Amino acid sequence: MNILIPHQWLLEHLDTNVSPEELQRTVSLSGPSIERIYDIEGDRVYDIEVTTNRVDSMSIRGIARESAVILNQFGHQAKLKELNSQEVTKSDESLPLPKIVNDPKLSKRITCVILKDVKRTPTPEWMAKRLIQTEMNVHDSVIDITNYITHELGHPCHAFDYDKVMNTGGEIIVTEANKGETFKTLDGNQFETFGGEVVFKNGQGEIIDLPSIKGTINTSIDASTKNVLLLLESIIAPKVRFASMSHAIRTTAAQLMEKNVDPNLITPTLEFGVKLYKELCNAKVASEVYDDFPGKITPKTVSVTLQKISDYLGLSLEGSTVQKILENLGCDVSIDDQTINVTPPTFRPDLLMGADIIEEIARIYGYHNLPSVLMDTKIPLDKPKETNFAIENKIKRFLSAIGWQEIYSYSMVSQEIALQSGYKIDDHLKLQNPLTDDRVYMRRSLVPSLSEIIAMNPLEKALSVFEISNVYHPQGDNKLPNEDLHLTLVSSRDYRQVRGDFEVMLKQLFIDQYNIDEDGEITINKEKIGSVLADKSLICFDLEFKLLLKHAKTHPTYQPIPKTSFINEDMTFTIQEDISLGKVLKEIEEQSPLITQVTLKDQYKENYTFNIEYHDPTKNISGVEVEPIRILVSKVVEDKFNAQLIGQVD
Amino acid sequence: MTIDQLQTQIEEIKQQLNAETNLSEEIKTKYLGKKGLFRTLVKEIPNISNEDKKEAGQILNQLKEEIETKFSQVQNQKSTKKIDFTMPAEERTVGHMHPISQATEEISSIFEKIGFTRARYPEIDWDWYVFESLNMPPSHPARDEWETFFVDVPEEVTEVSYDADNPRKRHPSLVGGKMVLTTHTSNGQVREMERLKKPPIRMINIARCYRRQQDATHTQMFHQFEGLVVDEGINIQNLKGTLDYFAKEFYGEGTKSRIRPFHFQFTEPSFEVDFSCHICNGTGKKDGEKCKFCKSGWHEVGGAGMVHPNVLKAGGIDPEKYTGFAFGWGVERTYTLKEGLNIDDIRLLYSGDLRFLKQF
Repeated sequence: MNILIPHQWLLEHLDTNVSPEELQRTVSLSGPSIERIYDIEGDRVYDIEVTTNRVDSMSIRGIARESAVILNQFGHQAKLKELNSQEVTKSDESLPLPKIVNDPKLSKRITCVILKDVKRTPTPEWMAKRLIQTEMNVHDSVIDITNYITHELGHPCHAFDYDKVMNTGGEIIVTEANKGETFKTLDGNQFETFGGEVVFKNGQGEIIDLPSIKGTINTSIDASTKNVLLLLESIIAPKVRFASMSHAIRTTAAQLMEKNVDPNLITPTLEFGVKLYKELCNAKVASEVYDDFPGKITPKTVSVTLQKISDYLGLSLEGSTVQKILENLGCDVSIDDQTINVTPPTFRPDLLMGADIIEEIARIYGYHNLPSVLMDTKIPLDKPKETNFAIENKIKRFLSAIGWQEIYSYSMVSQEIALQSGYKIDDHLKLQNPLTDDRVYMRRSLVPSLSEIIAMNPLEKALSVFEISNVYHPQGDNKLPNEDLHLTLVSSRDYRQVRGDFEVMLKQLFIDQYNIDEDGEITINKEKIGSVLADKSLICFDLEFKLLLKHAKTHPTYQPIPKTSFINEDMTFTIQEDISLGKVLKEIEEQSPLITQVTLKDQYKENYTFNIEYHDPTKNISGVEVEPIRILVSKVVEDKFNAQLIGQVD
Repeated sequence: MTIDQLQTQIEEIKQQLNAETNLSEEIKTKYLGKKGLFRTLVKEIPNISNEDKKEAGQILNQLKEEIETKFSQVQNQKSTKKIDFTMPAEERTVGHMHPISQATEEISSIFEKIGFTRARYPEIDWDWYVFESLNMPPSHPARDEWETFFVDVPEEVTEVSYDADNPRKRHPSLVGGKMVLTTHTSNGQVREMERLKKPPIRMINIARCYRRQQDATHTQMFHQFEGLVVDEGINIQNLKGTLDYFAKEFYGEGTKSRIRPFHFQFTEPSFEVDFSCHICNGTGKKDGEKCKFCKSGWHEVGGAGMVHPNVLKAGGIDPEKYTGFAFGWGVERTYTLKEGLNIDDIRLLYSGDLRFLKQF
């Protein structure tokens, strides 16, 4: 969350003479990050990122408080100025307060006061300038005072039209909305409740405000407003976030209140507001201050030892140094031997335990003042068993080197793509709250995603892509899905080329033996590791990575270089189309132990030429030994596969 | 003739061949012709004893191959006509490793050198691992449906009240939970503590993450890497040391890191991590002008912090005895900061557009 802080406005709370650049440098190192300095309307304006746990810094005063501590630590002169607030005193003129019915479970505090005869004056120039510097709109004083004091002190507030509230019964009831109620915000937008939003209602059950978020038109200031009910409440944070997010009303007030603004800030904010209404609008205080504060919390004391502090920092600090840092941050500190007892201020509900206190000490001491040292502790040797990132990388490198493009596609897919996996739509995990229609189901196959990518790149002729990613198989209620790593290859090239790439990839993993059957089932040592399918002119190899990994080796088994000679012969057969060629090759191979390799050398129409390699590692063989095998091969192939040998075998 | 004599003669022929200055056709005939030196030796085979015959055949075969190789090399050189070196190349088709894979490989190898073990943990996980074990109470904004993808499965949760001091009493194995797509790699923190049971822990986890977001700098799916170190005596100085080491290895010598205060629920203290800009050497100025690449000399790259005591408790580790640090940030962000890369829309990474991917 970012806040804009004009330098001159900051100086109303901070006494210092450092330059804006030095302030930016130092505060960013030990506190909120000052990301940029703009020049707007004649002043330097800081753009500051405040973390969500530090809503106390979301104001001019908050930044001044942080800056004072940090600048001092860097050796600069700096001091947080006293807040000169004036207690609100009622004037002679009196108006009755509305009846307020709080629910302490919903609002920690409600405070209000009536301001009578409010003059509609234009916003003074000095205030308008600051509103512009902090990117707020300028209206007139009555409206702008509320935004101005929120920015200065950090607690949102709302100005009601007092007469509108009184005219509908004069009641403010803090309650949760039912489903289906309607309200119109002050900018005229109509909303319907989801149920559970904290709202203000009047006696008739009509919604008259969306507290801590935005006013409604039926009670907000308009041109005719004469009397103002200045009200500050502290709705509990989760309720504010729920209503603000579900209706997409992301006002500054909502963004502050959903982060637990300190309800103790209500008093100074109200006092400051009343002062400005009196000065700028001639308003008269027409009631006592109504204050109902059921959610008051006394901060708990946190203890931390000096030893623990040095465990975190890697160096020892004096108790007095620690005490000074914490006191500067507004904490009450006492030291009891080696233990520091810290009671944080109410605006620091984030300081709950020792580690929180150590963070405060460390950042103010300065992270930049700590040395940088690699750890000399033991190295764990127990590696996860199921993974092998080295082999994943080896495959990625090899496939990309031989022409395959690696893809990262989305794990969530559309209904159409999900169905292409072959699984029913109900057999997919579905997102409860998808962001877009094309990312709804957790995919069970990478094939459709990769096929889609090939189709998306029509200019690429003969495209080959692959991905190594998880697919997600549901395992029934109350079980996490099975996340199965797949290596999937999809190509628009022809089958033999793709299989050739697949085969050399296996050889990289020192897997020599594998089989693909007529149904496309891929097996290694009789275990199925995946399948190949042909789909719309694409060839897809889909492998379960963990099974592939099981058979992969880091090194081959050395085969002695043969000392005897090889004989290579070609045989050509006419084979009909419906015969599975894999079976023919296998059959030939099985005819003799002397046949060491059979490859398909050439194909022309139905004529297939096989190259047959004969070898005996124990002696040199000659044509004499090969001839009977050759005759046997031709006979078996002709008989079993109804094939026709071309030429003669003897 | 004995096998030894044959061996000697073979050696003599080899030496003679090596001494030849002009390997012409004529000389080739001298060695391999019908009446050549090789044939002369072959004719001796019948005179060799039966037990050595096999070996004799083998060594003669080797000799023949050597002679043939020698002459064929010369042949090749001779047959080469003049090559036009200005001819254009005929390029091979190659593929490309995805930039995220390249970055992941580089990042993991950097951390592996200093003893980190890479792990992989679920992408769809119980909200307990993703949030609650990381000290995010049930009401924490990160846990609501605006930022996190929830899986639509019937929920069977046993009601046990939240207790930050005793996070394991709501462990999913005991009470069930909601299934979410991991919004960060930090679900691996408690999972790694559970895997190892006790320190030392030095883990790196690089994985897909998911958030409900989509614009030029955000995609619904993205990658993070996460480091976790837990042991006795681990302190902020060690985190600084690790970050400095990574910055130098990944972006080059001279790159520095710095940590500034930040807030995460699962670390305390928490830091924002900046690396000095390698374009302007951390000065914020290049050639007298403002550096276009960075914010005043530094890049914000990610988050880090000392592991929150409640997170150690969630992982069954005694926070009184052990401390640790964790860091993590986007792979995309880290990678796109590389000098001259100029990727301005990270959605391209997951588009499958070959015109983009082929450049890597």
